[in-house]
Amino acid sequence: MTQAKPRAKKLPLKERYALLTRDLDWEPSYVEREKLFPYTSYEGIKIHDWDGWQDPFRLTVDAYYKYQAEKDKRLYAVLDSFAQSQGHLGLADASYLNAIKLFIQGVTPLEYAAHRHFAYLARYLEGPAPRFAALCQSVDELRHCQTQIHTISNYNKYYGGFHSWSKMHDRVWYLSVPKSLFDDAMTAGPFEFLISISFSFEYLLTNLLFVPFMSGASFNGDMPTMSFGFSAQSDESRHMTLGLEAIKFLLEQDEGNVPIIQAWIDKWFWRAYRMSALVAGMMDYMLPKPVMSWKEAFELYFEDQMLGGLFPDLEYYGITPPRHVEDAIAEKDHLSHQVYKILHNFSFAAAFTTQTPSEEHSAWLSEQYPGSYDELYKPVWDKHARTEAAGGRIFFQGLPQLCQVCQVPMAFTEPDDPTAISFRTSEFTGETFHTCSNGCKWIFDREPEKFVQAWLPVHQIYQGNCGGPSVPEVLDWYGIQDGDNGEYKGSPDQRSWAEWHSGAPKQES
Amino acid sequence: MAVKALYDYEFPSADRAENFGDDQLVYVHWDGNPLFCSAACFRVPTAMPFGEFVAGVVAPWAASDPDFDASAITRWRLFDQPLQPADDASLADLGVGHKALLHFSV
Repeated sequence: MTQAKPRAKKLPLKERYALLTRDLDWEPSYVEREKLFPYTSYEGIKIHDWDGWQDPFRLTVDAYYKYQAEKDKRLYAVLDSFAQSQGHLGLADASYLNAIKLFIQGVTPLEYAAHRHFAYLARYLEGPAPRFAALCQSVDELRHCQTQIHTISNYNKYYGGFHSWSKMHDRVWYLSVPKSLFDDAMTAGPFEFLISISFSFEYLLTNLLFVPFMSGASFNGDMPTMSFGFSAQSDESRHMTLGLEAIKFLLEQDEGNVPIIQAWIDKWFWRAYRMSALVAGMMDYMLPKPVMSWKEAFELYFEDQMLGGLFPDLEYYGITPPRHVEDAIAEKDHLSHQVYKILHNFSFAAAFTTQTPSEEHSAWLSEQYPGSYDELYKPVWDKHARTEAAGGRIFFQGLPQLCQVCQVPMAFTEPDDPTAISFRTSEFTGETFHTCSNGCKWIFDREPEKFVQAWLPVHQIYQGNCGGPSVPEVLDWYGIQDGDNGEYKGSPDQRSWAEWHSGAPKQES
Repeated sequence: MAVKALYDYEFPSADRAENFGDDQLVYVHWDGNPLFCSAACFRVPTAMPFGEFVAGVVAPWAASDPDFDASAITRWRLFDQPLQPADDASLADLGVGHKALLHFSV
């Protein structure tokens, strides 16, 4: 067998792309098309021409792997040098890592879930171009999951809370918020998934969900996580483009798609926004050196860029801004404070620690939130501080009421009254269901058959499904070890940090 | 609106009353106390007398607030309706059902 001579000249990129993606498609000859693609009609979306899908990146598999390998090389070089030079000692403060614990427990498993579901789309979407885009994204998401694990596991040697994140993601109460959101998306049809994850999650709210962790890393001396952020940046912009292309493609294909897409935007804006509440709490309270306040980020990335930029463009297709967006705007002065209050009340049962804001941090919050902090939130922190000065620490001695849809404890207040908790209820088949907001109630009422199945961590504990009735039994079942949880001040992380920075000779590990 | 699916979509509720036997879930909210992020959720027997519920279940939780004074509890509400509970009336007698929301003030 003789070896073929290498081709003298490569084909132009556009032609290579056409040959390697669209031209590899074929018409089925011995099975019906509906059997080959059984999931693309039941949602009511009509596609007349799958070739109408535009792919701005024109990636081919060989080019894709080449780019990714180069990015991996750069990232792993940073990780090696960080590990060898005890880079963790250069963080702003050990308490910063609480944000990163939240990230690996809450976000990294979502990358893996996204990998799985985009692989499914890469099989079941009918057009070769969207299938290929989904394939690339599936591989991206797997790479993000792996590189995040490698990046963040550097801290596992030295700090608590980094050890059992995968198990925790499946079991722990605050992690059921991101997990249940993704479960909701993955159990929807392929088009709803595109609107939920590619559009609402990766486009509409990515600057509020993902970017704050990376900027937080950069401000607080976390070189590995920042480098991961850079390594993922070009992928993320490709995902954003996919999200925007997906929605435009679906809207252009058939006028009948518009109301279906609008309802999904209404649902998924609120779902993703409610999950971003955890990020709001992180941004305003967990970063020793804050980047910007949640409120400022919300105004810039959501109100200016999305409501001011994207939605006027989508108006052309008959799409209006998401339902309940006015409720989100109304609570921007309150969201982060209410969420961190939850985490602070319950960190005895979390795989991170919390602390009452220091005087300096409190002054920053007061500056950022002139309309709400001093009046509503500072007095509560002052009470905590008084109790702590006397040697106490206030925790919530019980379990919270959860929202049936977002699964966040029902801590949010009425859009027009920040002193009154917003309670909403629905009746379905003789049972009462509680939701935290107009948005979550609307989502429940739209698909009650789906949301009655919610695995609410508090109710599961009470049904005896979480290791036992006592807090230690539940923590054991969660995989939370002593010292992962509770108050930051006096925690193993804080004590080690103080010791490492005291100038005393470092102990060999 | 029903869930769009390729098959009959019907599944039981995860927290239906029968999963709790003779007990039920009850939520309790301390109105106007911002120290607590949210209402609390308890599992209690439907036959539990209200006085016992307050002393044995609500008070230990409310005492998370060091300023709590059990004798100052007042103005019970069941959802949005005022409730004048007798201590010996059971939760069931008072109409406090599975996943009911109680409020009080001090």
